[in-house]
Amino acid sequence: MKFTQRSAALIASGLAGAMLLSACGGDDDGGSGASGDGSFSIYIGEPQNPLLPGNTAESEGNQVLDSLFTGLVRYDADAQVQFTGVAESIESEDSTTWTVTLNDGWTFHDGSAVDAQSFVDAWNYTAYSPNAQQNSYFFSNIAGYDDLQAPTDAEGNITGDPVASELSGLRVVDDLTFEVELSAPYAQWPTTTGYTAFFPLPPAFFDDPAAFGEQPIGNGPFQAEEPFVPGAGGGITLTRFDDYAGDEPANAGSVEYRVYTEVDTAYTDLQGGSVDIIDTLPPDALASAEAEFGDRFIETTYGDITSLSFPTYDERYADPRVRQAFSMAIDRQAISDAIFLGTRTPATSFISPVVNGFREDACDVCELNVEEANRLLDEAGFDRSQPVDLWFNAGAGHDAWMQAVGNQLRDNLDIEYVLRGDLPQAQILPLRREQGMTGPFRDAWIMDYPTPENFLGPLYSTAAIGGSNYTFYSNPEFDALLEEGNAAATDDEAIELYQQAEDILVRDMPSAPLFYRVNQGAHSERVDNVIIDAFGRIDAAAVTIAG
Amino acid sequence: MGRYIARRLLLTIPVLIGASFLIFAMVFALPGDPVAALGGDRSLPPAVEAQIRDEFNLNDPLLVQYGKYVGNLVQGDLGIDFSQRPVIDTIEQRLPVTVRLAVVAILFEAIIGIVAGVLAGIRRNGFLDNVVLVSTTLIVSIPILVLAFVAQFVFGLQLGWFPISGTSEGWGSFLLPGLVLAAGSLAYVARLTRTSVAENMRADYVRTAKAKGLPRSRVIIRHTLRNSLIPVVTFIGADIGALMGGAIVTESVFNLPGIGRAVFDAINNQEGAVVVGIVTLMVFFFIFFNLIVDVLYAVLDPRIRYD
Amino acid sequence: MTDRQQAELRKDEVEAGTTTGLASPSVDVASGRQNSLWSDAWDSLKRNVLFWIGSVLAVLFILLALLPGLFARGADPDDCALGNSLDKPSAQHWFGFDQQGCDYMATVVYGARNSLIIGVLAVLFVLVLGVVMGAIAGYFGGATDSLLSRVTDIFYALPLVLGALVLLRVGPTTNIPIINKPGPAAVALALALFGWMTAMRLVRSQVIAVKSADYVAAARAMGASHRRILVRHILPNAVAPVLVYATITIGVLIAAEATLTYLGVGLQRPTHSWGLQIEAGQSLLRTAPHLVLFPSLILTLTVMAFILMGDALRDALDPRQRA
Repeated sequence: MKFTQRSAALIASGLAGAMLLSACGGDDDGGSGASGDGSFSIYIGEPQNPLLPGNTAESEGNQVLDSLFTGLVRYDADAQVQFTGVAESIESEDSTTWTVTLNDGWTFHDGSAVDAQSFVDAWNYTAYSPNAQQNSYFFSNIAGYDDLQAPTDAEGNITGDPVASELSGLRVVDDLTFEVELSAPYAQWPTTTGYTAFFPLPPAFFDDPAAFGEQPIGNGPFQAEEPFVPGAGGGITLTRFDDYAGDEPANAGSVEYRVYTEVDTAYTDLQGGSVDIIDTLPPDALASAEAEFGDRFIETTYGDITSLSFPTYDERYADPRVRQAFSMAIDRQAISDAIFLGTRTPATSFISPVVNGFREDACDVCELNVEEANRLLDEAGFDRSQPVDLWFNAGAGHDAWMQAVGNQLRDNLDIEYVLRGDLPQAQILPLRREQGMTGPFRDAWIMDYPTPENFLGPLYSTAAIGGSNYTFYSNPEFDALLEEGNAAATDDEAIELYQQAEDILVRDMPSAPLFYRVNQGAHSERVDNVIIDAFGRIDAAAVTIAG
Repeated sequence: MGRYIARRLLLTIPVLIGASFLIFAMVFALPGDPVAALGGDRSLPPAVEAQIRDEFNLNDPLLVQYGKYVGNLVQGDLGIDFSQRPVIDTIEQRLPVTVRLAVVAILFEAIIGIVAGVLAGIRRNGFLDNVVLVSTTLIVSIPILVLAFVAQFVFGLQLGWFPISGTSEGWGSFLLPGLVLAAGSLAYVARLTRTSVAENMRADYVRTAKAKGLPRSRVIIRHTLRNSLIPVVTFIGADIGALMGGAIVTESVFNLPGIGRAVFDAINNQEGAVVVGIVTLMVFFFIFFNLIVDVLYAVLDPRIRYD
Repeated sequence: MTDRQQAELRKDEVEAGTTTGLASPSVDVASGRQNSLWSDAWDSLKRNVLFWIGSVLAVLFILLALLPGLFARGADPDDCALGNSLDKPSAQHWFGFDQQGCDYMATVVYGARNSLIIGVLAVLFVLVLGVVMGAIAGYFGGATDSLLSRVTDIFYALPLVLGALVLLRVGPTTNIPIINKPGPAAVALALALFGWMTAMRLVRSQVIAVKSADYVAAARAMGASHRRILVRHILPNAVAPVLVYATITIGVLIAAEATLTYLGVGLQRPTHSWGLQIEAGQSLLRTAPHLVLFPSLILTLTVMAFILMGDALRDALDPRQRA
């Protein structure tokens, strides 16, 4: 999987090179010539929030923001960090204090300069809790973060103002340099800085954040020339930013993000030629799309994981052998084929295959083994006469595969099941927080940045209880290995330690890894060089218009 | 007449308040935490959640919340949703879509319904009458859910006569969803017209007109139809208000960004302000059109006097 | 009847039309003789082909619900194998398989039971609410009538599916009995709570129409209690229109259940329900159209059965229809 992705990226960049050459020579063969002012359209679901980097956590808004902004670093199609963004370098000697040096010459769409201050101000704004920015937690490992959080009482009411309004860990050295001091060492910190939350903001933002959210002023390859209103059902058209300072400016003159609520509609429009790129296919089309679109069919692995997590606080699921037995009773391949029609691949690790440090054989209890599962279940003395509750959030399309999981538990372990999928996310999350899960529950994680740590720490560390660790799993040994990994001097050492931490998870099985998502998309004949990265984002700048 | 209208208007106030409180109480009784769900599968920092909760008065008791809501409502402020967008803006943006859909639906049900009803009614138990009877029964028996998919599949996908969904084709985009939305009422209008026409065909004054030797078409149009349409017109009037609420399924299936879909999404996201705002609006329309129907009744049917 | 009352009755008919979608259930029986009304009606029904079609379909549907095993051709709807997922209909498996690899004919057949339970339960709830409220409002009049009529107006203004949608979303987390346990009873109650108003108005206008009749005045003069007058003398007159209304409404409510389930708040998997089956099949319309086709077809036939019967009943009971 990894190899094919890398080669896909190589081919893609090769194409881009060839295209530039042909554009110079005025030669237009193969139908992939660069055209200056062409326009194309991309399907997106409805963004829910105004387009603010600090407050956008959903993929729809991220897709648009990714075209409008360029962060310190960028990720290639293979989720590897590239210094093709604003940062010239990000260096540290102790993995705690990082010096960020910016490239000169970057400007925002309104002409103001992208300097150290525009990063520091943006990060402070997002981290400050009274601004209520959803991406605030990305800065929680920067020194002084706690001082920017308003104090709350036991019921969650605010009892006062935060002590400070600026992160003590951020220091502007000069126009093009700033220092970041973390509260604990983190060797892979530079990898995190390409995410939406870390984008810089121009002075204009601070004058009127609301207006900015409708028509953001970024520093990316495209600029917004019209306001966008989320929830209004419309779309947004972005035009090329001609003064873009990056190495990879937009190839097309403009891109239209067209909002659809039903992906079926978008697909029909793609077939009819009225939309150019879609990054999700309706279940209906999965079987036929590859044949129909040929080399215009795109498939890439998404940086995420779906698991069946266990309430380790519940006596019934306290024994790791029970949890391993459940994991071994699920035929991931069969569910992937029948229910997901190939849009998922079976998970063999707690870490996504797009991340450096993924091992294909990390989890030996993630494969179907009915005999062993039954043996473990007997050994643990599990009461099979009581049905098992399977929890998931309603209205999000999890019903079919959770039912398939239940059917397999019934067939393979002889346990009846009850599906508890009637509560929407807003009601199920508080229950998960209050240890209200009475059985295994659906858990999913989309990576924030491509590091193994991002798949381990936020989900299973003791520190993340009260955060996203809904299994309430806690193991000091695991915590210690994570910390060592964070403090490691090199990437390789860090990865080695993270893998040891993962081995403990496999043994304790607080959660059974199930699937990785596969992005399947397709594009029309009008466009070329369509790349979907591991975050599921289409690199709009790279897209060329054919003919 | 003036006094009657004034009395009816006064009566709408408790209904409007009652209905909006009912929906408000249900929405805000939801014990889930809409703020917690904002971060998706990920938790927000506690202080950030607390800040958002505070901004939306989610910590107040129900009656205080409702009081604050009505206080703002009277000043024309419907509140804002979780993405800081005023609810009134959402309504302004979405309402035209639903209004267009309703207009197309009403036209369909009026034109097709009345024509079918008249054809069936002038010759009872004739061939056309039976066709109309059977087909209307069939139409109302098909749940709107099924009808929407069938229409989309057959006319949109297979035959390609209509755009499958979206609003890109202007009024053309509303033909198919409008027809689906109108189907049930259309059948009822046909039935109502049929019964009414058939009844009037037997009435003395029509017999007299026929006996006078007036041409058949004149008898039907001038004498029968005018009187037969009174209940039909009033039904269509009342239906305008009801259609607004019936748009949830149609708008979802046909991807129309109207208020029906907005309210469905808002229920799932627990966007209380949006739900209450839109439902209050729907209730208002419903009451308003019913009021008009009552007045129309009095105007059209000289036998009825209110006072 | 006075003109005013007549006008109100006609308006109720019109409004009933907006909720039931077809028949105006009001039947003018206040002046008719009850015995001859019913026997005349039966004579007319016997000759009505549509009534028989509806009855046969309804009997078939009730049999499906009571004895699903008979019709499932020996297949167990819970015996599923993912290897059979989405297989097309064949000689052995007439309806093919669903995505979970369960025999589709068995799952569709077993879906009838929930539809029947919900349709009948919901209509019973509707009748209880509607008859009690309508009788009280119509009989006592004055302030009681105004109050109950306003309450009815309030509920009337809320669309059925919308109200039930919100209630069922809230339901599981409240302490209200029945509503807090997801299942057929909760769905039925939610539908009834937002669907009783037409029944109330029907009963109310019938009661008002009959209340001033001579025999009621006579009963009153003889010192009969309110309750006795209502139950023995007035309500029997409302039976005919209520029966018509109830028959049609069973069909309407079965369709409403499917809609609610489709929208995600009705019944939950792994229960067998047509709404769930349509919802599951919807996204596979192009590759496996049989998944939507079969439950839609049976749902439509079931709804049609009740509407045909109700419709025929209305025609039979309405003297105006007979020339």
